[in-house]
Amino acid sequence: MTPILELQNVTKRFGGLRAVKSVSLTMNAGEILFIIGPNGAGKTTIFNLISGFLHPNEGVILFAGNDTSRMAPHRAARLGIGRTFQIVKPLPALTVLENVMLGAFMHTGNVAKAEEESARILDFLQMSHLSRFPASGLPLAARKRLEIARALATRPKLILLDEVVSGLTTSEALALASLVKRLPEWGVSVVGGVEHVMQVVMKIADRVIVLDYGAKIAEGVPADVVKMPEVIEAYLGPKFRELTQ
Amino acid sequence: MSLLKSWKFWALLAAALLWSRMPWFVSNNYQLQVLFRITLFAALGLAWDLVGGYAGQLSLGHVAFFGVGAYGLALFAQLSIPVWISLFLAAMVATLFAAVIGIISFRLRGPYFTLATIAFGEVLRLIATNLNVTGGAIGLTMPALFTGRTFWRQFYLASVALVVLAFITNFLVSRSRFGYYLMAIREDEDTASAVGINTARCKLQALLLSAFLTALAGALYASAFQFIVPDSVLTLDISVQISIITMLGGAGTLLGPIVGAALLLSAQEVFKNQFHESHLLIYGILIVIVVLFVPEGIVGGLQQLFRKRTSPPSTGAQAALGGAAP
Repeated sequence: MTPILELQNVTKRFGGLRAVKSVSLTMNAGEILFIIGPNGAGKTTIFNLISGFLHPNEGVILFAGNDTSRMAPHRAARLGIGRTFQIVKPLPALTVLENVMLGAFMHTGNVAKAEEESARILDFLQMSHLSRFPASGLPLAARKRLEIARALATRPKLILLDEVVSGLTTSEALALASLVKRLPEWGVSVVGGVEHVMQVVMKIADRVIVLDYGAKIAEGVPADVVKMPEVIEAYLGPKFRELTQ
Repeated sequence: MSLLKSWKFWALLAAALLWSRMPWFVSNNYQLQVLFRITLFAALGLAWDLVGGYAGQLSLGHVAFFGVGAYGLALFAQLSIPVWISLFLAAMVATLFAAVIGIISFRLRGPYFTLATIAFGEVLRLIATNLNVTGGAIGLTMPALFTGRTFWRQFYLASVALVVLAFITNFLVSRSRFGYYLMAIREDEDTASAVGINTARCKLQALLLSAFLTALAGALYASAFQFIVPDSVLTLDISVQISIITMLGGAGTLLGPIVGAALLLSAQEVFKNQFHESHLLIYGILIVIVVLFVPEGIVGGLQQLFRKRTSPPSTGAQAALGGAAP
């Protein structure tokens, strides 16, 4: 079976800075993969590369067997790559329902059908009661969910959740995490990115990749990864690495 | 068909019918001319609204399409093509021209796009001033779309028909997937492309539609005033006027451009008669007041006022999403 997503030695440079250094990864359909790493590790850059907002300088990105390395964002989205943004971008003048409908319009030109499908998705994300309100007034937790709802409405095969729980309280983050864990029910594989909310990662990730300064430094199941000396060093500094040995 | 089910559509049709009966009450040509201008600019505002309002791309180059419509009608008619076919051909040329402008300038975002559109309008003005075929600075005589003693009344009726056409266009767009796509582009282009919207193509389609309607209005306007020079139909003032009318009334709303045109142009007319040269000052102050206090425009502002009462109960929302309110 072809992996849903494959990165082969992907490198992205911004001028002299190598934001992503020869990163490779493979993920299978239905998997929940988390990319973790300290601030500036290159997580958002990887999301932008996969979703076509940036193009790699070197390496290849394969999505369900298609080379998407040079693809425009809207083409990547049509191929089945949904995404949310680290800085949530609800379309403030539109209602919550209309925001989600934008996603649903990928598969239907019929406004009523789009409404119906969007309502179903909002129901899954437990925010039907907000559907008629303008998106501009929503609290952060709801806006994060709205982003997921809009991406989910495009019926993606893969969904990229950039900093999906940052800025949320612990209880909000855990509530959202349990919904993310259910995304594979919709036929969606998930790549999540978080900085340090390990509680969430431990709870829902099948596998974790750790980035530091743009390079992949560790990979494995969450419980193992958090014990790796390289990971501890990346987060806490070399002094703490010694402590673990 | 959603068009036939909407009260707004029937209300407009009734209003248009009523408005088209205005000549019963108004007989002198000056008043008819003012009514014609108001109606025509309402149509122009509606056309501009597709690009500047729904898609949020602030074009200040719409005079280019207006001017191409006017000059196109004159030039095609000179080739002894019947005037009504010339009118259609002129609008087609303007649409083609819009494709060129759009493909180039939609690569730019925000203020850079606006500057590019201004440049296109100015380039056309200079071309029209310097070419022989356009009569240079001396200008061209327009073919008459309507003749006879009651020609102002007929021009006026034609402008009402154009408003209805533009309104129906905007109505259908605003309730379609295409309309939602335009609004998504206005709100955030990155998000729009993340849900699979080809933003470049959507913006271009909106511009083509808008240019076609704008060119029809330009040709009608020029034909009514019988004579054109580059400074009358290719001046930046017209672009500015169209955009201000729409923003004053409410960009991205169906009724905004109509309200804006009625208000601004009648105010202009009154001030012109009352205060002569200083009318521009009052006009300017009016615009400043609107921009400062009702940035969404009159119709947009009213809609928001209406919506305020229905903003979400934020604490309740938070609790439902698993969060204790902080």
